[in-house]
Amino acid sequence: MHYPWWYVPNFTAPMLIAGIATIHVFVSLYAVGGGIVLAGEVSHAYRINDKSALDYLRTHTLFFILLTVVFGAITGVGIWWTIGLASPLATESLIHIFVFGWAMEYVFFVIEIVSAFIFHYYWGRLAPNVHATVGWIYAVSAYISLVLITGITAFQLDIGNWTPEKGMWSAFFNPQTIPQILARSGASLLLASLYIYLHAAFKLKNHPQLRSLIENRISKWGMASAALVTAGGAWWYVNIPESARSALAGASALNILTALIFLASAVVFFMLYFGPYRHPGWLNPGFAILYFLLGIAATGTGEFIREGVRKPYIVYNYVTGNNVLVSEIPKLQATGYLNGGVWTKAYMRQQYPRVMTTDGNIDYNKLLELPTTDQLRVGEVLFQYHCNDCHSTRGFSGIDRLTQGWNKDMVSTVVTHLDKAHFFMPPWCGNDTEAALLTKYILSLSEPAPPGMKFSYAGDSEDGSTTDVIAREEKNR
Amino acid sequence: MNPTDLIGPVSPLGSPAPFWFITFFKVLGFILHMIPMNIWFAGMILVAVFAAFGKNHSLELAHRLSRTMPVIIALGINLGIVPLLFTQVGYYQFYYPAGVLIARAWLSVIVILIFAYYGVYVYSLGVRNGRRTKFALISAWVSSIAFIFVGFLFTNNFSLMANVQDWIHIYSRTSVGGAALGTGLNTADPTLFPRWLMMFGIAMTTTAVYIAFDATFLKKRDTSEEYRKWAGKFAFVFHTLGVFVFAAMGSWYIFGTLGKPVLDQLNHSPVMYFVFALTAISPGLVWIVMLAQRKSVRRNATIAAAVLQLVVLTLNAISRQWVQNEEIFKFERVSELPVRVQWSPLIVFLLLFVAGLAVVGWMVTKIVAVERSEAGV
Repeated sequence: MHYPWWYVPNFTAPMLIAGIATIHVFVSLYAVGGGIVLAGEVSHAYRINDKSALDYLRTHTLFFILLTVVFGAITGVGIWWTIGLASPLATESLIHIFVFGWAMEYVFFVIEIVSAFIFHYYWGRLAPNVHATVGWIYAVSAYISLVLITGITAFQLDIGNWTPEKGMWSAFFNPQTIPQILARSGASLLLASLYIYLHAAFKLKNHPQLRSLIENRISKWGMASAALVTAGGAWWYVNIPESARSALAGASALNILTALIFLASAVVFFMLYFGPYRHPGWLNPGFAILYFLLGIAATGTGEFIREGVRKPYIVYNYVTGNNVLVSEIPKLQATGYLNGGVWTKAYMRQQYPRVMTTDGNIDYNKLLELPTTDQLRVGEVLFQYHCNDCHSTRGFSGIDRLTQGWNKDMVSTVVTHLDKAHFFMPPWCGNDTEAALLTKYILSLSEPAPPGMKFSYAGDSEDGSTTDVIAREEKNR
Repeated sequence: MNPTDLIGPVSPLGSPAPFWFITFFKVLGFILHMIPMNIWFAGMILVAVFAAFGKNHSLELAHRLSRTMPVIIALGINLGIVPLLFTQVGYYQFYYPAGVLIARAWLSVIVILIFAYYGVYVYSLGVRNGRRTKFALISAWVSSIAFIFVGFLFTNNFSLMANVQDWIHIYSRTSVGGAALGTGLNTADPTLFPRWLMMFGIAMTTTAVYIAFDATFLKKRDTSEEYRKWAGKFAFVFHTLGVFVFAAMGSWYIFGTLGKPVLDQLNHSPVMYFVFALTAISPGLVWIVMLAQRKSVRRNATIAAAVLQLVVLTLNAISRQWVQNEEIFKFERVSELPVRVQWSPLIVFLLLFVAGLAVVGWMVTKIVAVERSEAGV
């Protein structure tokens, strides 16, 4: 609308955000949790003067830098890049609300980078207390980064009492922030501790004493983090908006995934307690891999659900998934979606000057006089700007399959009642003429019902009539 | 079609800070970003060339640069986010459309950066471990070319932001069903190549000053007197080349491509005329200092060169910002858009900024103390 829509064939642009964010979230959570665990364990090792533990912990720092400072930092920037391309209006809004939140986050990010490098490159060269302090500087700054970013992503799901007049703090302290911070804190520690487990299981096979020490200490981190994930997740669930709860209840996949988070967290907790915590020396590579995969499953699932239940908004009650300000919808419905969009209007002016009025607006009566091929092209424009944020034409969430076997009335009804058909879709933001053109375009893509399916039962007539109401209607016409 | 028809509406949220504040932090962030960015932009190609063909001192330079390059890149990337953040606040109506029109190239920056950065690590770790394999050498080359290409892509987006009149042409060529395919580039803009190469010229001068700085101050005990002599001479030669590139590309940019309205505006603004003149001649001042230490790097001369180079970068950033504003003001007076200042977050940010500097400063004093104690100073 305000910006050109980016068309990514067969995939949809917002799915690129999901792709990059999925990779980034594991790394960034590990960066936070790993920092805390490393700082805590290094401080402890210095305190008891355990050189072997220090040597072992040192082996983690180069990998830590290579993963977090390089890959984590660039994919973090990558998310920012992608949201600006795939959801420019939502990004514009978020940046206006949270610019100083982001600016603060980057202050901490710079501290993170500097402290991470000093922690690694000056290991054994700085005095122990200074070295441990640098480790804690990293841990604290990384954690504050997590807190700041979580406040922003939590706002997307629930704006709480925020209004534009109230500014950033009101937006930041929304009902979702603290539960999500708790859950993410747990997830970050969980990933870090389970990774160290995994590492120790393979690398410390011949160092039973050190391995037992690591097992015992890390299992405490692991259990605490699994408990945090569960507590934060439960609190989050209690606080989510009603629409998000309905989305969770209505989508069977999300249902299963929600149960999976709690199940995986509980399994990790009890396995750690009855395993390495109670019986040091018990750890073996197979179980370590299982732990790690459970941790990945719990974390990844949580993040997926957090994103999934936000629909139909990118910013709850403020920007819809198709990059429209909620406040603009009534005007668009009255004056037309194509007319209200900067780039849709430019397209129409360029491609179809004959349908433009002298004052530069679209004459909708003339739109219906266009040849069918042109009407379909205009329908395609409507699809790109109204639907392509979630649906491709053929491919991911393809409209060809979603409307397979539908007739014109069905498509038209759904187009004009999008939010009624599925409450997780935004309302139709255009006028009746545009709805007719979009319907035509969708029907041109829609696949016919799969052949060979029979719904005839003993009571069906022998003339071939079926129990399929739509097929009967078509036949009667 | 009137180009202004493609500019989106003003955000109903209002700007969270006055325009001067946004511009100040955008420029400050860009200056801080330019220092490390210049060193990898022009420095990585030196690493690659000297790693492949260098001997003795030139090979030593490649090793020294590659060892510090990972830290330089990490700092540069993160400092680069500051100007990008404030660009998105102050110039969103221009930044987002430009990005979407060249989305594929713009997003590829992330992928290229990841490979380039790891390539630097492959070479750097090879040097540290004394294993410079062919793979490490190829990695250095790939990284150096990748960084230069990333510079090209950045110039594309930031020149396209102000090149609103070409938006519709790129959009028409590369749209499907009215949506941008993101396959455009701003190659029809005559300012694109001189802007890109002008930055490369400045990057060469910054890298030259860094080479002198490194030989003078950083791990002085590791470098021999012969190396310091060689470094002084090489830094001077490289700086001279950089000045030539900067002067040639800058002349092409200003006299060959800059629009008449911007030049007229410049002629009517004595302050900016003066700043532009200083921007043009300031690399020459650094060059004189580099000339003075061409036989061997010297402490005072290096400090002078570093301070002056910071002035060069500052002047450049200010001049660039002024040109960008003038070009964008033709379409929208972004400086006059509604403001709804978020005072308390702004103040908290400034306090944290100062506190952050203090924390970083404390850590730096600790490592300087270690370096000095290890060097026996």
